[in-house]
Amino acid sequence: MSDRGTALERLFWRATVLVVLVYAGLPLAWIVSLSLKPAADLGDGHLVPRHVTLAHYGAVFANPHFPAALRNSLGIATLATLLAVALGVLAAYAVVRLRFPGRRLFLGGALAVAMFPPVAVIGPLFDLWRRVGLYDTWAGLVLPYLSLTLPLAIWILAAAFRDLPWDLERAARVDGATRLQALRKIILPLAAPGVAAAAVLVFIFAWNDFMFALSLTSTDHARTVPAVLAFFTGASRFQQPTSAIAAASVVVTIPVVVLVLLFQRPIVAGLTAGAVKG
Amino acid sequence: MLDPAGRRSPFPAWAGVACAVLLAACSGGAASGPPALHWYVFNEQSGSFAAAAKRCSAESGGAYRVDMVPLPTAADQQRSQLVRRLAAHDPAIDLVGMDVIWVPEFAAAGWILPWKGDDARRALRDRLPSAAATARFRGRVWAAPLTANTQLLWYRSDRVTRPPATWDQMIRMAEALGDSGTIQVQGARYEGLTVFFTSLLASAGGRILAPGDTSVALPTGPTERALGVMERLARSPAADPALSTSREDQGRLAFEAGRSSFMVNYTYVWPSARADAPEVARHMAWAPWPSVIPGRPSRVTVGGIDLGVGAFTRHPRLAFQAALCLASVKSQRTAVTRGGLPPTDSLLYDDPDVRAVFPFADLLRATLRTAVQRARTPLYTDVSLAVMDVLHPLVDIDSVADVPRLRRAVRRALRSEGLR
Amino acid sequence: MRIPREHRLGWLLCAPAVLAMAAVTAYPVLAAVRLSLYRYDLRFPDARRFVGLHNYLTVLTSAVWWKAVAATLVITLTSVSVELVLGMALALVMHRALVGRRTVRTAVLVPYAVVTVVAALAWRFAFNPTTGFVQGLGILDRPWLSVSWSAFTIIILTEIWKTTPFMALLLLAGLALVPGDALRAARVDGASRAQRFFRVTLPLMKPAILVALLFRTVDALRIFDTVFVQTRGALGTQPVSLVGYDTLLVSLNLGLGSAVSVLIFVLVTGAAVAIVRGMGGALPEASFR
Repeated sequence: MSDRGTALERLFWRATVLVVLVYAGLPLAWIVSLSLKPAADLGDGHLVPRHVTLAHYGAVFANPHFPAALRNSLGIATLATLLAVALGVLAAYAVVRLRFPGRRLFLGGALAVAMFPPVAVIGPLFDLWRRVGLYDTWAGLVLPYLSLTLPLAIWILAAAFRDLPWDLERAARVDGATRLQALRKIILPLAAPGVAAAAVLVFIFAWNDFMFALSLTSTDHARTVPAVLAFFTGASRFQQPTSAIAAASVVVTIPVVVLVLLFQRPIVAGLTAGAVKG
Repeated sequence: MLDPAGRRSPFPAWAGVACAVLLAACSGGAASGPPALHWYVFNEQSGSFAAAAKRCSAESGGAYRVDMVPLPTAADQQRSQLVRRLAAHDPAIDLVGMDVIWVPEFAAAGWILPWKGDDARRALRDRLPSAAATARFRGRVWAAPLTANTQLLWYRSDRVTRPPATWDQMIRMAEALGDSGTIQVQGARYEGLTVFFTSLLASAGGRILAPGDTSVALPTGPTERALGVMERLARSPAADPALSTSREDQGRLAFEAGRSSFMVNYTYVWPSARADAPEVARHMAWAPWPSVIPGRPSRVTVGGIDLGVGAFTRHPRLAFQAALCLASVKSQRTAVTRGGLPPTDSLLYDDPDVRAVFPFADLLRATLRTAVQRARTPLYTDVSLAVMDVLHPLVDIDSVADVPRLRRAVRRALRSEGLR
Repeated sequence: MRIPREHRLGWLLCAPAVLAMAAVTAYPVLAAVRLSLYRYDLRFPDARRFVGLHNYLTVLTSAVWWKAVAATLVITLTSVSVELVLGMALALVMHRALVGRRTVRTAVLVPYAVVTVVAALAWRFAFNPTTGFVQGLGILDRPWLSVSWSAFTIIILTEIWKTTPFMALLLLAGLALVPGDALRAARVDGASRAQRFFRVTLPLMKPAILVALLFRTVDALRIFDTVFVQTRGALGTQPVSLVGYDTLLVSLNLGLGSAVSVLIFVLVTGAAVAIVRGMGGALPEASFR
């Protein structure tokens, strides 16, 4: 088989790629289309809108809950990402560079946390949060997101660290750099793709979460977009404004799609790292 | 921002810093001026509640200011938000606009304050008895009834000459009409289904809980009759194909589209049809909710909003004062003339302005006079879920075998053992 | 006894992560176990008392619970097995594609990254008689979300659409590990394409397949968002997570709800242990070395 393949093979792969693109894109294309159609065309069944209107986007941002939710989502996901990557870097460094008792236990525990069912903890968390004042606050969501994404962060970062040429670090240490300086100046820049992958995946987790947001928040103070979106209603309590929901859905989807497009390579590498390197 | 400083006092310092860094939502700080009372109530679209809040603030002469805080639009989210925050002893909830079914729950949990003496008397003065009953629980008064609600039968006067008197008659009439004969009822798995069943059961002479509301009633005869109506309707061609996901508004839309000839629904469908589907509205007529037993008038479920005072408010005196004003005849008048919300004050139904909004005012008042309460138990949510769990989807109902199933499910719910 | 510096540093660096993870998992699970032994209903704050295993008895004798277990298993088994096949196909495409490999890899990440609530809404709209396109295909004459089997179909389709890419990426990792030499040798021996795949590639991929199965099964058992948005548990589609959520946070019956939580925890842990057993305890090795 030559590198480029025969014309027939190339045609086959083109068709296959097209199928995958339709698979991945169709539901989203539909929701984009719904968000752009004027109300009267909503039921016309056309994928490409016959008339395009941005009115629904205007309506979404005019609803006071949505911008607040967007701000909460951005803030909470960003905080959770920064913290998870910071704690993850420390732990991953220790796991890869140091030999200490309990290391395997730590990794096994992290793995268990990765498979943890959130519904097993929302009751006690709600009970605790309502008593210590974390209910309906940013911190009340950042904390669970941080904890549940740490395993993923540690996993990806450890895989990235493992591939680094450690001689460089050793050389730096010989030159008088502390461990921390070496970590910051030498290792992190080299492991940047891994750090990016960990950050993006943690962000996506926090951005996507529904159950914690639903359970531990109730107002514009901390409610995030998915929880607001699930209860998006129209002017009256009985209406289900499809177009507005579609527009809001598109708005929350844009950031993650942009992240995925920008960081495709490190994300794929990061997600596959654990299994490959094993 | 929904509330002032205070309720999140043990806010961890690091979170505060983090919020400050990200410029967002942690601010607060009490405004100056008279104490603000936060009134949590569903988001009334016409602005009549907001107008009442403004009027009462002005009339208080600077004693208090009522800030209306709209609850989420989705009905189950309204209760969720309130109960979780009340369980967290949130002092920012001064006044609560409660769906009438929450009153026993909120009262038993100690989330609202009981009304006493003159306040209690004034809260219930001239109220329709069924509306006043929603505010009572275990011998005390817990709220001031603000608005009421109940269903009527809506039908197409151009398709049938006389409205059906019973469900059996209506199903037969609808079947005879063919494609346009569909009957709109609430068949989705949600509170509306329990309401539908409660009305059918009461009309058949039964009730879900025995007097005292602590044990199951569901007498065999009436329960079988009520289930029989549901069973028959669901299997009839007169049922909407989407019956199992059908709520009030789907029914309204189908009726406005002309695809239906009958509908049991609340009064909001009338102004809505006149605005959205004038063609249909011209032939839209009303009648008493159909009977289950021929010759025995139906009894329909009462709904509405009761005003309570949050148990953790910092201004209980002012809150009672404000609640009386917000639920007063003046406020109810605005609510009905602007927002089309049926009053709880029985005399208002004679007011010409009200009769202009509700040409069916007499029928509505008569329906409310004999209206039936839903189960008056703190475990109402669980009881209702148990009911809808057994009854949904209507098409699978077995009117004989489901009676013991229903009893079992409700009994479990009453023991606080209802899984949902 | 002196503790070596390296040990202390290792512990110190891991400590924040351990604390954070324990605070939101270990502590609440223990709290849930304790709460599950009490009658503790926030609607009856004065009625709190120890009831032993009564809450478990209540859950385990409830038809609602067993219906939810059945629904969860139906959703999990169907979606994970379809995803395995589909994910393998997708992994092969990503691995072998001669053109557009980058495009494919980026495209499959989109469903993975999309907010689950949005995915659930998108599919709900697609199957809605008014706003969708599926009804036009004439497969079913009533709204899809109003009949039990078709409601399950939409839920499972949504799950498959959303999570197959994750499965595919894990399998891709395993595919990359299959040595070219083994495949070439099999080819020289006259093995067909299919034989090479089933006899050489698949056995060598076993660890990756088991890892993928483990993660996806455990994930599918927790299904919540999709069902919440699409049916809210109606028509027999209510999964165990929704039972737990409703009991805990809608009824505020924390005692009974905690019993549900603990049982879900046991269910998920049991499934994980069973799969790990199936791969001969190779998992921690496979994912962390």
